[in-house]
Amino acid sequence: MMVRIGVFICHCGHNIASAVDVEEVVEYAKTLPWVAHAGHNLYSCSEEGLGSIKRSITENKLDRVVVAACTPRTHEPLFRRACEQAGINKYLFEFVNIREHCSWIHAKEPKEATEKAKKLVAMGVAKAALLKPQTESEAGVIPTAVVIGGGISGLVAAASLVEQGIETHLVEQTDRLGGLLCDITTIGPEGRHARTLVKDVVQKLEASPKTHIHRKARVSDVKGFIGSFEVTIEGCDGPTKVPAGAIIVATGTREFAPTGEYGFGEHPQVITQLELERKLAMGEKPKRVVFITCVGSRQPGREYCSRVCCNVTLKNALALSKASPDSRIRVIHRDIMSSGSAAEKLYKETSDSGVRFLRYGLERPPEVVSDGDRVNVIVYDETLDEVVSLDADLVVLAVPMLPPDDSEVTGKLLKVPRDKFGFFLEAHVKLRPVEFATDGVFICGSARWPVNARECIWQGMAAAAKASIPIKEGKVVIQAITAEVDPEKCAACGNCVLACPYEAIEIVDQDGNRAAKVNEAQCKGCGTCVAACHNDAVSQKGFTSGQLGAMIDALVKASLEGSR
Amino acid sequence: MRRVVVIGGGIAGIQASLDLADRGFEVHLVEKSPSIGGHMAQLDKTFPTNDCSMCILSPKMIMCADHANIKLHAYSEIEEVSGNFPEFKVTIKEKARYVDVKKCTGCGDCIAKCPVKVPWEFEEGLVKRKAVYLPFPQAVPRKVTIDGDHCRTIQGKKCGVCKKICQAGAIDYEQEDSIVELDAACIIVAIGFELMDASVMSQYGLGVCKDVVTSLQLERILSASGPTGGHLTRHSDNMEPKKLAFIQCVGSRDAHMHGYCSSVCCMYATKESILAREHAPGLEATIFYMDMRATGKGFQEFVSRAKQNYGVRYIRSRPANVQLPAGGNGVLVNYETSGLSGESVTEEFDMLVLCPALIPSKDAGKLAEILGIDLDEDGFIDMPDMARPVDTSRKGVLACGFVSGPIDIPDSVSQASAAAARAAELVDGGDR
Amino acid sequence: MTEFKPTILAFCCNWCSYAGADLAGVNRLQMPPNVHVIRVMCSASVKPEYVFKAISQGVDGVLVLGCHIGDCHYLTGNHRTAKRIPVTKKILHDVGIDDRRVRLDWVSAAEGEKFQQVIIEFVAEIKTLGPNPQREVNM
Repeated sequence: MMVRIGVFICHCGHNIASAVDVEEVVEYAKTLPWVAHAGHNLYSCSEEGLGSIKRSITENKLDRVVVAACTPRTHEPLFRRACEQAGINKYLFEFVNIREHCSWIHAKEPKEATEKAKKLVAMGVAKAALLKPQTESEAGVIPTAVVIGGGISGLVAAASLVEQGIETHLVEQTDRLGGLLCDITTIGPEGRHARTLVKDVVQKLEASPKTHIHRKARVSDVKGFIGSFEVTIEGCDGPTKVPAGAIIVATGTREFAPTGEYGFGEHPQVITQLELERKLAMGEKPKRVVFITCVGSRQPGREYCSRVCCNVTLKNALALSKASPDSRIRVIHRDIMSSGSAAEKLYKETSDSGVRFLRYGLERPPEVVSDGDRVNVIVYDETLDEVVSLDADLVVLAVPMLPPDDSEVTGKLLKVPRDKFGFFLEAHVKLRPVEFATDGVFICGSARWPVNARECIWQGMAAAAKASIPIKEGKVVIQAITAEVDPEKCAACGNCVLACPYEAIEIVDQDGNRAAKVNEAQCKGCGTCVAACHNDAVSQKGFTSGQLGAMIDALVKASLEGSR
Repeated sequence: MRRVVVIGGGIAGIQASLDLADRGFEVHLVEKSPSIGGHMAQLDKTFPTNDCSMCILSPKMIMCADHANIKLHAYSEIEEVSGNFPEFKVTIKEKARYVDVKKCTGCGDCIAKCPVKVPWEFEEGLVKRKAVYLPFPQAVPRKVTIDGDHCRTIQGKKCGVCKKICQAGAIDYEQEDSIVELDAACIIVAIGFELMDASVMSQYGLGVCKDVVTSLQLERILSASGPTGGHLTRHSDNMEPKKLAFIQCVGSRDAHMHGYCSSVCCMYATKESILAREHAPGLEATIFYMDMRATGKGFQEFVSRAKQNYGVRYIRSRPANVQLPAGGNGVLVNYETSGLSGESVTEEFDMLVLCPALIPSKDAGKLAEILGIDLDEDGFIDMPDMARPVDTSRKGVLACGFVSGPIDIPDSVSQASAAAARAAELVDGGDR
Repeated sequence: MTEFKPTILAFCCNWCSYAGADLAGVNRLQMPPNVHVIRVMCSASVKPEYVFKAISQGVDGVLVLGCHIGDCHYLTGNHRTAKRIPVTKKILHDVGIDDRRVRLDWVSAAEGEKFQQVIIEFVAEIKTLGPNPQREVNM
């Protein structure tokens, strides 16, 4: 068979070219077997770059394409489609990662990075030569969604799905809906009454026959994949198995419990924001209040800023300041994080209302000392350059938000990753904020990162938009990376049947020859069966032992050349 | 009717279009400039991961152009909107490019020969483009446009060079604006922001001192595809700066200019400091700020990294003014250190970067009038109900991205998806 | 004598360790340039034969990186990896090859730093072991 491979090396602006000598890699690629053309692009993924690849496919009669650029996890679909548009089956494309896996991590060793890029390209070319055209199959999508978490983001996500006509199960572990909004009075900076907001959404949800609310319930098991999940919901009446096409995670956040900071637990006057909210809800109007922000956050160990605490502080400080003319409200802070338009306005209004702001530094934090019924807060004010003592009926600590305790369990059930603080890790921090890398599973609200109610609401809607796409489309395309069995080599030993996590393989009688057979709709393309087979009878499309073996050979060859 | 008009082809408009198109809606994406991409296309990297901006944006731009359910109206404007939800009548003016886009291959032969030079918008005026131009190399659609205001032939002078050189026969000086009328169930506004003209704050020397630039100009200077090929140099003598300063909140958080916080400047200044240091080893970057607002995922760690690994100096101070040093190169920054004991300092920097207020796109007022929607006191589109965060004051007209208030890229993206959900709710649901 | 520059192969699963390697890149975490990644969908698809092939042809070290136990995208795939790679190492040991040339580890999609650490440590270890004796055979 005649194979004509085109190799395209990307500069990615400076991103690759600053460490890798792209022209040198191009010249090297030209010397590799089967390579009919090698070229380079400033940005291969631009319309110009893709256009030049497509033109080159035609002009050079290429039948395989290798692009050495960034990561296949984000850009493979783009190049595959370009191949298709130029008349090449999209599975005859191979991606080589010389950015994340080379130029970015060897930024100061251009010579070594260039040598490594050459080897990676040689490996990609070796694999490409053995690629085979494939056809994709399709699978149906169960027109039902499951939303985990009944806080405001989960409620809104469910309401949006139901509104779009999609059957939705909402799973809430407590017996009340609304999450943290149930514990607060008003939502800053808009001043909206929190419980009314929740009530409106719940009413809308409950009015629809498409809504199924599971209170005091939790998800105990998740099986399957996009389009055909099976979610086990453990409720009061025992477990229910719900088939679903998509899942939205909206498990929210919780307040950090202070561990003795500023006399918390020692002086009853020292409380958290949520405890203050409860007092406000009961009509209490404390007059001398000191707020301290960044308690337990933005410091070693818990470095992050949890985004919402400053605005909650401002909202409550303003409310207390307005409540009584003789109030004395002080805010001790490190920075006021009132980003944007409404929040900055709230900050201005709060400081105009007479609330006093003092700035402290991490190296000289305030101290809280008991003074009978009251406490005194002693603080070094950075701006005034002096130590001041503030008497207070109440000291309110703005503590960070943390992931809920069961986020690890949720993560493991859904096989989705979490960051080092335990918040869920989205598919791409910039451009895929409400998706997981796993198809069909979505994320919204403070389970991803602490956000305010307004942000929770739009993220809930965004997750609903994403979940509605496969459900309304009614089908998902199954990538052609499934396993296949060579019945001639198969001894029907059943090892692969046992190894398959999806019960996708069975032993069947084919014209008197007993052999394993893969059910393509059930196969998820993990390749576990491939390694389980002792006879080399099972292979995975796009990852055959021949292809991977050729990559190893290419690496060895290129390395030996390099060491000579 | 399952048709939605999206106005604005930046990242928010692109994302809303893609989600709706994937959801089975027919989308008409209207962009006023010759290419979609918006401001994100101008950025070198994005915080806090320093991901290459064009690399992550470009695939989405191309998906927009390729999508069977998306009709792209680039270089087009909304002329008129009548009717109400769910039957708006939208009139789109497709401006004359003087180029037959069906014939143009984007080869660039005409650009090479065009004799007229004008300041290049995409490069923030740092260099010039021709009167016939491609807005940037990764433009979508990749078709050239003749800038009628500057083209000699269009202006009635003798030239015609581009028509002679074009082998595809794509140049058409007689081309006129064309009008497209269509019905749409919903309209999504995503026209984004622009930079306040920082030269109005004359104390900071933009336009007077050669080595004072805006943050978006620096973004272009840092970009590999930018005017300096990614070499960090200052304008006065093309030297690589050793000391670089940023002034935050230029015109924002300022009662006399714009009261609000632009939301993204703390982080992009941090990013640009890191990048500048990577481009020019040994460079010292200083950021003059009011509050360090690092409230997003990974932001605080990003700031710590800038301090610890890149030696970025953060000074809490709003500089009073700047002066041109005697030699004419660089800039002198006058500021006070914090605290009552604070003292006045004059410090020399090789180059100064201003982070101006980000203001609503200047078309917001006119468009709001056409659409019959309200603006808030800062000129952003008013989103009156927090429970409906993408609904404007008029039913069926939605908004997302920076034009509804200062937000960063991921928030624009999720808001755009929310707008898509809302349009789907309105069209498919009973909530009318 | 010239400096020994080991050639190392790493099998990374698509969902966790390859993503972790990508994250290391995004965060610009610097590491030695000796490791060449082959992407597989799951670490459980890595045949012992691939490891034998690489080692017998002179590759100085082989890494197999998967999701942490319990996090496998394919439910239990990595449980098999966890059993299979030790057996693979034992076979290598039995035929007289230092089994430290093969290492199994877990790197999640969030663990760019862990990926960097694994690479730095493994390269250092292979350097102390010196060139794979099979190199000579292949030269």
